[in-house]
Amino acid sequence: MLKFLDHLEEWLIATLMGTATFIIFVAVVHRYAAGLAIPYVQDWLLGINVSWVQELCIYMFIWMAKFGAAYGVRTGIHVGVDVLINALPPPARRMYVLFGLFSGAVFTAVVGTLGANYVWVIGHTDQVSADLEMPLWLVYLCIPIGSYLMCFRFLQVAWTFNATGELPRHDASFVEGVEKTALPEQPDDLHPAPIVATIVAKAAKAAKAAKGSP
Amino acid sequence: MSAAGLPQKPLQRMTPALRALVFLPAVLVLMPLGLFALGVKIPIAAIIFLLLFGLMLTGMPVSISLGLTVLAFLFLMTTVPITSVALKLFTGIEKFEIMAIPFFILAGNFLTHGGVARRMIDFATACVGHWHGGLALAGVMACALFAAVSGSSPATVVAIGSIILPAMVKQGFPKRFGAGVITTSGALGILIPPSIVMVMYSVATNTSVGQLFIAGIIPGLVLATMLGLTTWWRARKSNYPRLPKATWGERVRTFRQSLWGLLLILVVIGGIYSGLFTPTEAAAMSAVYAFVVAVFVYKDMPLRKVPKVLLDSANMSAMLLYIITNAVMFSFLITNEQIPQAMAAWMLDRGLGVVSFLLVVNILLLLAGNVMEPSSIVLIMAPILFPIAMKLGIDPVHFGIMMTVNMEVGMCHPPVGLNLYVASGITKMGITELTIAVWPWLLTMLVFLAIVTYWPELSLALPRALGMMR
Repeated sequence: MLKFLDHLEEWLIATLMGTATFIIFVAVVHRYAAGLAIPYVQDWLLGINVSWVQELCIYMFIWMAKFGAAYGVRTGIHVGVDVLINALPPPARRMYVLFGLFSGAVFTAVVGTLGANYVWVIGHTDQVSADLEMPLWLVYLCIPIGSYLMCFRFLQVAWTFNATGELPRHDASFVEGVEKTALPEQPDDLHPAPIVATIVAKAAKAAKAAKGSP
Repeated sequence: MSAAGLPQKPLQRMTPALRALVFLPAVLVLMPLGLFALGVKIPIAAIIFLLLFGLMLTGMPVSISLGLTVLAFLFLMTTVPITSVALKLFTGIEKFEIMAIPFFILAGNFLTHGGVARRMIDFATACVGHWHGGLALAGVMACALFAAVSGSSPATVVAIGSIILPAMVKQGFPKRFGAGVITTSGALGILIPPSIVMVMYSVATNTSVGQLFIAGIIPGLVLATMLGLTTWWRARKSNYPRLPKATWGERVRTFRQSLWGLLLILVVIGGIYSGLFTPTEAAAMSAVYAFVVAVFVYKDMPLRKVPKVLLDSANMSAMLLYIITNAVMFSFLITNEQIPQAMAAWMLDRGLGVVSFLLVVNILLLLAGNVMEPSSIVLIMAPILFPIAMKLGIDPVHFGIMMTVNMEVGMCHPPVGLNLYVASGITKMGITELTIAVWPWLLTMLVFLAIVTYWPELSLALPRALGMMR
């Protein structure tokens, strides 16, 4: 079930990204192609109305931004100011990281609720978007869904962090297809460092327990 | 993505200073709220900024701290109806100009796939490899070329650095030298158009992206030259290896090979300047073009990798768009509270002139560059500083270029420098060692920052000459 949600999320944002790029490309090509005086083709091109493309692109990116932000929590890409807490001893850092994750959950929950409320209100009007004439509530549906999903992701990360001390880590220097070797040696202070000490301590504890029992 | 490869920092002892720091964020968050609850009269601006500062120091994402500050303010201390601000949260990024950011990121990700960067390096090497500094000088030039097709600094460092740095070490350059050159030259990525930071600035201040892009060209070339001179001078002093002079035939051959990548410069800058495309359309065109070049022309990337690139780009763009959404709300809040106006009035009362204001701004931004990455800084600081700059009669485009250069400096020094971090990943050098490696070029950049700050014509001459602005 969770796997399915993960894949759906990834599939959705990648598709939105690709499609938005493609339609803007097509619209620009159309604009210049329609200016060429080719018999019949020109008439046909002029007959196609592409004025709605910009609006569609914006809405697609808003959907992408909302779901992508949730995906970003899972991949740990959101940047923060972590110079201070990364210098703190692990117990204090742990508290702040948990506080940060819960604040994220609270914020997204509040926004989700405000959004749901908003969608509910405009859902009872017949407001439509300017060019596409799409019902506005459908456009803004991404706000409650995306925000609640993000809230869920924050809680998920907090749960894992609490249990293992690990955080999802986005590697800024990784590029697909370029040969890369090791991870950088230090945290970049834009993201909180994971708490490896707790893992080590737990492993030591487990080893000790295993030794103690016959 | 796990913590496995990360060596633990040596366990710190709890020094008294550190013990005090443990509670700093908590104090900063609770103090303004507490004071407010107790009914102590402190300026609204102080509450907002203390709260924001405290929340950010707890290490939570910048976007969340911005959002929470606004929410706290809305629920606790204002009469502005929540719905009107909440609406901003939903509609804040409904601008076609903002959509240039995802497109430029996508284009950049297609380009970083080896091929384009490698051919640009070959071309640069054939051009300048025989001078003092050889490959290092070629690295500066390749960074400048790549910067003209990519809008991000770390991406430039990765693309050029991961190819040229191993080659430099093989040729006998000290690792430090190469790392220093590429880390700083990579920063050209956000100054030479296209530039994601400039789009951010234009979003925050309603300045024209086209004007900013064109204005960035000359400063970008000047900075590239200055970094090149520093490299040349240091290499001559230490007598680093040079390459045999390339023949003209070779230059033409490498130029033709890199032509597909170089043409992208034409698409973006030419397209925007001639008015064929809006900046956002130019970004989309360059994304499609980069895709075609990477997959079909250079064939560096198999088609099956495209979904992964799309996903990575969407991930990065969504993160930036999320910061923008919350920053728009935040700037709406501070504008609504008339904070920039009050600050401007205060500064004018003190008789602060243009010269001292720009100095203060630069110091402020350099300090911010110590803890934050460029997009967040621009989105938070620009709405506050911009109105003051306008009151003092500073040109919006010049101010934007100055901020961009300042951001470049911030990316190249610790504690938070994305370029340093990325370079450390490529070279496997520690941040401390890299910091020492970078300083000659960093100093050059600071000198350049001073020039850009106090010589507006450097930025404004080209857009004026082209008739894009008065």
